[in-house]
Amino acid sequence: MTTKTRNFVLTLAALGLAYVGIFLIDTHLDAYKIRIINLIAINAILAVSLNFIYGFGGMFSLGHSGFMAIGAYTSALLVLSPAQKEMMWMLQDVAWPFSVLQTPFWVSLLAGGLAAAAFSLVIALPVLRLGGDYLGIATLGFAEIIRVLIVNWASITNGSLGIKGIPPHATLYVNYTCLFVTLYCIVRLLRSNFGNVIKAIRDDEIAAKVMGIDTFRYRVLAFCLGAFFAGIGGALQGNLITTIDPNMFTFLLTYNVLMIVVAGGLGSITGSIIGSVIITVMLEWLRIADSDFTLGGWTIPGVPGMRMVIFAVALLAIILYRREGIMGMHEFSWNWLFGRGRGDK
Amino acid sequence: MKARFLCAMALVLACFTAYAADPIKIGVYLPLTGDNAFGGQLELEGIQLAYKQHPEIIGRPVELVVVDNKSDKIEAANAVTRLVERDQVMGIIGTYGSSLAMAGGEVAERAGVPVIGTSCTNPLVTQGKKYYFRACFIDPYQGAGAATYAIKNRGYKKAALLIDVSNDYAVGLANFFRRSFQRLGGEIVATLNYQSRDQDFTAQLTEIISKDPDVVFMPAYFAQGSIIMKQARELGGTFVLMGGDAMDNPDTVKIAGKAAEGFLQTTFPYSINMPNMSPEAEAFTKAWRETYPHKDPNVNAALGFNCYLMFKDAIERAGVAEAEAVTTALAGIKDLATPLGTLNLNETHDAEMPVGITEIRDGKQVYLGEVVPE
Repeated sequence: MTTKTRNFVLTLAALGLAYVGIFLIDTHLDAYKIRIINLIAINAILAVSLNFIYGFGGMFSLGHSGFMAIGAYTSALLVLSPAQKEMMWMLQDVAWPFSVLQTPFWVSLLAGGLAAAAFSLVIALPVLRLGGDYLGIATLGFAEIIRVLIVNWASITNGSLGIKGIPPHATLYVNYTCLFVTLYCIVRLLRSNFGNVIKAIRDDEIAAKVMGIDTFRYRVLAFCLGAFFAGIGGALQGNLITTIDPNMFTFLLTYNVLMIVVAGGLGSITGSIIGSVIITVMLEWLRIADSDFTLGGWTIPGVPGMRMVIFAVALLAIILYRREGIMGMHEFSWNWLFGRGRGDK
Repeated sequence: MKARFLCAMALVLACFTAYAADPIKIGVYLPLTGDNAFGGQLELEGIQLAYKQHPEIIGRPVELVVVDNKSDKIEAANAVTRLVERDQVMGIIGTYGSSLAMAGGEVAERAGVPVIGTSCTNPLVTQGKKYYFRACFIDPYQGAGAATYAIKNRGYKKAALLIDVSNDYAVGLANFFRRSFQRLGGEIVATLNYQSRDQDFTAQLTEIISKDPDVVFMPAYFAQGSIIMKQARELGGTFVLMGGDAMDNPDTVKIAGKAAEGFLQTTFPYSINMPNMSPEAEAFTKAWRETYPHKDPNVNAALGFNCYLMFKDAIERAGVAEAEAVTTALAGIKDLATPLGTLNLNETHDAEMPVGITEIRDGKQVYLGEVVPE
């Protein structure tokens, strides 16, 4: 058996095991834990997509909340029935085509991703000629434009009243299937020539140009792909909490995803997944710091907001003592597990 | 030996009482940090005051489980799931902010746990919901109340709207004010928008001044509303400013100072300065002063207080602390005496009460009376 077939069999087995695990979680755990586990999958999709743009593509993008908003709104508008929309739009009537359109969930999910990718193409063409911090500022502005558009375009988005009653399609199976598909696509892309090219551009753009690579085209492509998966993540998030409004999609949302990516390790898919598990679980688990607790006979009174303080201190520690994040740029792989070859292959 | 025996007896007794008096768990989810913390904190203190007065319902002790929702939708949904699944609460109180209530409401609806909203005034919160109730009236009602008062009692003809477009509460309330004002024969001469966190309103106010309205309706939160008052007066605007219940905060006068004079506001029928206070309102104010001597109570505090009273009433009438029975009992709340007047719930689960009108005079909030919306 060659290493390749062994790895293929192992991956299939792991996937099967994962679905057995999801089945067990779905039937045995309570809704609270399932909710957190769902959030982990969605955060992982978002983190992997941002990591693809920033960690591998080297483009410092802060537009993630904008792409998520587009994905979430597109999906919600398509999945709701015309009657529901008519009842909810209190400021203005629903604009055509959304006033008559209703699609199945999967179609709306894909449409959410595609809409985010389309918008990202529009922004990428002018903005990707910038580099470094300037790109960060421009994409941050883009996300804010999207939010302001949603607030003011009441005939399509219902303005700041938001949308509620989105059917809870984002179950464990849906979220994790989306995560696995995202991972498969991104890992395959990174292992192909395309991956080598964008990593080369990240490391030295001039050298890549000298090699005859159309760096602009590759950067635009990578940016749109990342935005596509961000749109999917946003759509799933909307379907999980079943209500969305423009105030959800502020810069803080991008910051949350960025935090996961940096804590996990820039340029490591494994790191993004570990980061989303740790940060999502920790945010909930640290709630104990908000309430009273007893430590060796002393009762410490609870202060609301204490968990955010502890959380910030933990992040500071990561940045100070392990700047490259939990995984650095290393990846998990079967070869690494069996001690053959290098770990980052 | 005797001491040891006593200890053992005490232990057995403790076990026994703990078993017999299994607590009724009531969850509370409110914004205790983040943008809406000022409102959430007051409501929590109102709930805790009611709990202090009635720590036992149908002979069982009550346990409050308080969680913060950080003024954030995802957190609000998580908080309700946590209360339902981990703490296994019988019912939930919360929250300030309609968008937070909508996120939490979906979770509670699926779990079949009754929730009483404190001050989530958007009609969408309880629309089509079996398990969501609220202790407050809704925006269409309040907007109509403000319009009725402006036209019938004050004789205003021309109104302008100044709206925070990124705030669901402001957009909803202004929309309903507009409809009622026009229906009653008034004219809307200008509609100007701004965004949350804006600090400079001079451009909008200059435009409004040029249209010369009698009254400007601005359903803002108190921090921004106070700045609008200041800038309007500095620019020489002589129109009357009018706001909604979110302006009901002791800090309004502190920030706006002299500019707050003559500010009209619709609110829930409670104010510490109201004349002819009902016995319930008086008792509430007195109890608040004893418990929180450094802080004035406001409507948010009274609403929090009311939510607890509603659960108490429903559980007592149901006879058991069980979600389904309490939900049915909640839907049938009738003539409950509260600090905010006699409380009835209608078919859409909103509390029916008159709209109170207050005015700022000499730096004090004066309760002018109540208005029935037309």
